Amino acid sequence: MHYPRWLIGLAFVAMTLSACSSEPTGPLPPAPTEIGRATYDTAIASGSPAVVNVWASWCLPCRSEAPLIAVGSTRHPDVTFIGLNVKDSPGDAQEFMARYLDDADMVHFADSSGRIPIDLGAGPGVPVTFFYAADGSLAATHRGIIDEPTLARFLDEIDR
Amino acid sequence: MEFSLLAAAAIATGAFWLMLRWEAKRGNAAGCALNLWDAGLTAAIGGVFVGRLFSMLSAGINPLTDPGQILLVRSGVSTVGATVGAFAVFAFLGRRELVTSADAIAPSALAALAGWHAGCLATSGCLGTETTLAWGMTLEGSSITRHPVEVYAAIGLALAAAGIALWKQHGRPPASAPFGLALAAAAGVRLATEPMRISLDGGPTVFYAVGLALGLAIAVLAMVRARS
Repeated sequence: MHYPRWLIGLAFVAMTLSACSSEPTGPLPPAPTEIGRATYDTAIASGSPAVVNVWASWCLPCRSEAPLIAVGSTRHPDVTFIGLNVKDSPGDAQEFMARYLDDADMVHFADSSGRIPIDLGAGPGVPVTFFYAADGSLAATHRGIIDEPTLARFLDEIDR
Repeated sequence: MEFSLLAAAAIATGAFWLMLRWEAKRGNAAGCALNLWDAGLTAAIGGVFVGRLFSMLSAGINPLTDPGQILLVRSGVSTVGATVGAFAVFAFLGRRELVTSADAIAPSALAALAGWHAGCLATSGCLGTETTLAWGMTLEGSSITRHPVEVYAAIGLALAAAGIALWKQHGRPPASAPFGLALAAAAGVRLATEPMRISLDGGPTVFYAVGLALGLAIAVLAMVRARS
């Protein structure tokens, strides 16, 4: 059976590119610390604006938006970026952080029950992103994948 | 995919269809064998696909190891990639009569872009930088008044679409001039509104400037050649 040359070439390119996936190298980051609502509220009330991104390693959209959150965290150093890992295992969370949030300037916590975002009115789904003003008040809640213009606009709202 | 994006896509498709029909009734593309509706939609889908791939690659996500993420267009579509992809698909589909096809579809493509930008009303993504102008809008729960920058873009593109369509009907422009002017209008509107947009990295302003210059060059060359 003869395959067209372009098909063989395409398969070669595909195999080469798939070998370029960014597998985490080196030691994994520490697992997120398990917290409750009281610790969460203390972290938010630090006197600076804050963004809380709720994520899980099993959540496909979270992988998609993680690089954007990482960029936002480096572009807005005055804003505290917090990752809240929900309903996840520490090992999977560490691998996710190493692969998708390696460049992010953010601190991660874990809420294995997933109660905190539900208590804040966001529901059980992920991803969710909360935006807090410097006085600790909740300025906005974004449910689902966040895009670049939306993230930039909400950051502009709280970072002033 | 979120429903708000589907709503924006529906508005864009509706605007494209309306402009195609309006122009067709006035003899647009009478000698053009290409089905503009099919070609336009295929080019748009191809553009979104290529734009999504560009966006994933620039974010360090490998589409071959994470193919499911190609569908998550909400997390980003590169404007440069989408433009290149849409042009490539359309150029392939209309390769037998490229200039005629490009001129025929130009106002409808601008109308579709206007519809896409107006779709911000469905996605709640209209607002840009701060303003004190009377027509400024605010985010829910905010006191900051902002430019409805996507509405500006939609109005600019709609006016350009209508202007080029009327020029085609009444002015008998030379071949490739409507396409060139439409390209310049699309790039020019984005370039003009870019300072009012909020973004993390800034938009591809060089790309828009090149598009504006290229479009104007095509239009001017076509008119100079027609006069000589």
